[in-house]
Amino acid sequence: MAATALVSMLPRQRYSVTLVESEEIGIVGVGEATLPQMKNFNDLLGIDEAEMMRSTQATFKLGIDFVDWGFLGSSYVHPFGIHGPPASGLAFHQKWHRAVSEGREWNIEDFSFAIAAARANRFAFPAAGKTTINSTYAYAYHFDASLYAAYLRRIAEERGVTRIEGKVRDVEQDARGDIRTLLLESGDRVAGDFFIDCSGFRSLLLGGKLGVRWEDWSQWLPCDRALPVPTERCGDLTPYTRVTAMKAGWRWRIPLQHRTGNGYVFSSRFIDEEKAREELLASLDEPVLAEPRLLKFEAGRRIKSWERNCVALGLSSGFLEPLESTSIYLMQIAIMHLLPLFPAGRPDDRLVGEFNRRMDLEYDRIRDFLILHYHLNSRDDGELWRYCRSMQVPESLARKIEIFRHCGYIEDYRDGLFNAPSWLSVFLGQGLTPEHHQPLADAIPLERLIAELDELRTDIADRIGEMPKHATFLARYADAEATNPSALHKAEARL
Amino acid sequence: MTDRVGTVAVVGRDAPLWLAAAALQRAFGVTGVRVQAVELPSWLGSVDCYSTLPSLASMHRLLGIDEAKILEAASGVPVVAQRFSNWAKGAPPYLVAYDDDPSGSGDLPFAQYWLKGHKEGLRAGIEDFSLGCACARLGRVPLPPATANAELSASYGYNLDASIYAEALKQLAARRGVETISARIADVKVEGERISSIELEGGATVKADLFVDASGAERVLMMRLPGAQFHSWPDRFPCDRVLTASAAKFRSLPAFAQISAIRGGWIGIHPLRDRTTISAVYSSDTISDQAMVAQLAVLARMPVSGDAVVSDLRPGLLDRPWVGNCVAIGEAAAAVDPLAAVGLHLAQGCISHLVTLFPATAGQMPESMAYNDTIRAFASNIADFTQAHYLLNRRFDDPFWDQAREAPATPTLRSKIDLFSARGAVSLRDNETFSEQSWTWLFLGAGIEPEGFDPRIDLVADRPLIEKVQQRLRTVAELAKRMPSVDQFVGGIDQLEAAGVT
Repeated sequence: MAATALVSMLPRQRYSVTLVESEEIGIVGVGEATLPQMKNFNDLLGIDEAEMMRSTQATFKLGIDFVDWGFLGSSYVHPFGIHGPPASGLAFHQKWHRAVSEGREWNIEDFSFAIAAARANRFAFPAAGKTTINSTYAYAYHFDASLYAAYLRRIAEERGVTRIEGKVRDVEQDARGDIRTLLLESGDRVAGDFFIDCSGFRSLLLGGKLGVRWEDWSQWLPCDRALPVPTERCGDLTPYTRVTAMKAGWRWRIPLQHRTGNGYVFSSRFIDEEKAREELLASLDEPVLAEPRLLKFEAGRRIKSWERNCVALGLSSGFLEPLESTSIYLMQIAIMHLLPLFPAGRPDDRLVGEFNRRMDLEYDRIRDFLILHYHLNSRDDGELWRYCRSMQVPESLARKIEIFRHCGYIEDYRDGLFNAPSWLSVFLGQGLTPEHHQPLADAIPLERLIAELDELRTDIADRIGEMPKHATFLARYADAEATNPSALHKAEARL
Repeated sequence: MTDRVGTVAVVGRDAPLWLAAAALQRAFGVTGVRVQAVELPSWLGSVDCYSTLPSLASMHRLLGIDEAKILEAASGVPVVAQRFSNWAKGAPPYLVAYDDDPSGSGDLPFAQYWLKGHKEGLRAGIEDFSLGCACARLGRVPLPPATANAELSASYGYNLDASIYAEALKQLAARRGVETISARIADVKVEGERISSIELEGGATVKADLFVDASGAERVLMMRLPGAQFHSWPDRFPCDRVLTASAAKFRSLPAFAQISAIRGGWIGIHPLRDRTTISAVYSSDTISDQAMVAQLAVLARMPVSGDAVVSDLRPGLLDRPWVGNCVAIGEAAAAVDPLAAVGLHLAQGCISHLVTLFPATAGQMPESMAYNDTIRAFASNIADFTQAHYLLNRRFDDPFWDQAREAPATPTLRSKIDLFSARGAVSLRDNETFSEQSWTWLFLGAGIEPEGFDPRIDLVADRPLIEKVQQRLRTVAELAKRMPSVDQFVGGIDQLEAAGVT
């Protein structure tokens, strides 16, 4: 991602980009779920969406279905969209809350277009303009991360990146401490003015060479293991990721065109690997295609993502568990913050400071949002859940919860991921219903409010009925096997 | 619903009192909330003028105020920009206008194109590319564009006769159903962090579930609460006195307020329809009130007539603008040097947040946490914008101004200046009042020469870049020329039609 973005969005007369990569180092991802920002990134790079989707076995994603999270038997969708129409001053859910307190048994999910479409297994592109309810959502992709990496590598090379196959043996600094040269195992030397560290957990440059300290967040996010396992393609091809809470963590299910990505993210403090493997294999919907392999990690981040002439992206700068599909987003946003600040000569503290400030906000806000999922639960079947319920959360989050609990108010912010609608879906989904609605909601005559909501529900339901099934839409738009017209019929027949 | 807030007492004076009372009544009157205004003696004199930001228009819309009518009544004049003179030795004046940031076009800010052009010899200054600045120079008013997705638009604030404006808001509040008592406060009864009642001179008692302190710098309620502390910023804002006087009206109205730096402070010239308000904001350490009165006409370069009124200025911020069941708005929450015309905007921003965060119950009010965070950030950003003018002055060898240049600034302001100095980019924060463009006009006008620009600008080849720059120059000039003059604007609909503006 970094190589493609830098070669595409930095002027070539001033910068040349070299990629050092080794075939021997495997790619972690088995399948990967993304966020709607992924589409913006691809669009910015001039990537053809349908071609990218075909090349990466991609499907569409409208949100995440959280099963058994708040309590056993519960399910809620965190959608890539809002609840109700856009409004200023008074959030839509305040009106919904008033209707509920007046006796209407309406589920908040019925007022979100994205959720309704996801639940119905349907997909279409959002309507243009901002006037109708079917414009109030965005979408992302599920794709095979290794295929996406290969796809981007091809584009990066076409656009002029020099790729060097090899492993880094050592890193040389100059007298000031800036990184100057990479020594490869082949004996080759790669010199540069600026270095992007995409070396994963090893953080070869930023952590290893420049010694930027790691900040541990595992007291809030105790999961530290994952067991990914691919299974056969699922029949229903849901336009959403499903994440199911387990006794000592949670299990993902990501539908791709050629297979389904699954995995168990768990905390080694609360379950051992063998037991986790058993629980995982017993819970799968489709036949297994390969053995689960264990990944180890730790929640936290390097306290700075940019130090001297080195910026770390992705795992080499921090790790937050994949519950909300934020891994690729964090790489992407780091690249987007880096581009306008990219140094012209030696790195300038003024630019470094701004970049690190922005990345701090990104990490902190995602961290709080993830913790919320664990903290707000009423499960009583696992030590992990009891621990998380009673743990002390960051002050910034504790305050957010307290205000929401009281009156349902959610503060929005300019920078950083997850705006109010995301927080809302998780607050409510995890079982926290505000004690009161905000007084502004009382200013609307009750009959008018009820009629407005009722009309909206009907409007959404009617429009959903007219949308194609996700699998049908996908087969028409970006079937990975579609090399001839008969493939479409084949794809439809398979459904 | 049990335990809802049933009664609100707004205690204060002048426009902030009536804006708050009217806004709360408008939002919650229909739900049965009773809004009472306790009117303290006014601080306004016949010379006073409210200088406002563009945001006031949205408050007027919210309150159902007829903009043209209130402007006419209050001698209102549009203010398209502020013009800063003598803030740097030997440098020409610069304008800070209220250009709106384009909505999500995905393109880089225009200032980046200009910067590259500028480094390669482009002669035209950044003001030539600002619709607001261009209008201000031509004495014209940038009316809102007819289409929502127009590439360029700018907004404008107003100068208003303060007494007349406050009186009009008072009548509006009464019409809306606000009950008013005019009195002085004899005592404030406090239990823990909450106000239980207010006793008025004359013996009446006012009880309410929620109290709003709109008393300005007096902070008549907040100062009785043990949890409220006011932190002043004497080292950041050196001026502690405001002198207000009047001069004759301009024969042809300018579209800007003139803010001229002088030894020991600055002089503001704010045109109204029937007169001109002159204000001097200065440090009593440097100039005495008598000396300022004596020099005013010379410094303002206008004959000054009638009364001159002097008042104290103490910029600073309450660390908790909402304590218990009492909410401070406007100057009671945060006081800022009036240089950037932010006084009423501060009040208005507080009121909007209070309406949004109106407490759900009369008992616990955790909404205060969100209000306090928001107002602190909101006021701090405004104070930063204001201080930047002082901090970036280049009146070398004048002790007052040398000290202002060396004054401490917030890390946020430092990093904004740093980023702009390095790249010509503005990093906006949460709860920001001024647009990216206003910050840009300020930084460039005050003399920051960015060392570089966004490297992505170099992806644009020279020819398209030159064309883009020329195109913008033409568009700004043509648009500005089509706008009505300030005289036509204040002349009303007939004049606008005569000018060919619809």
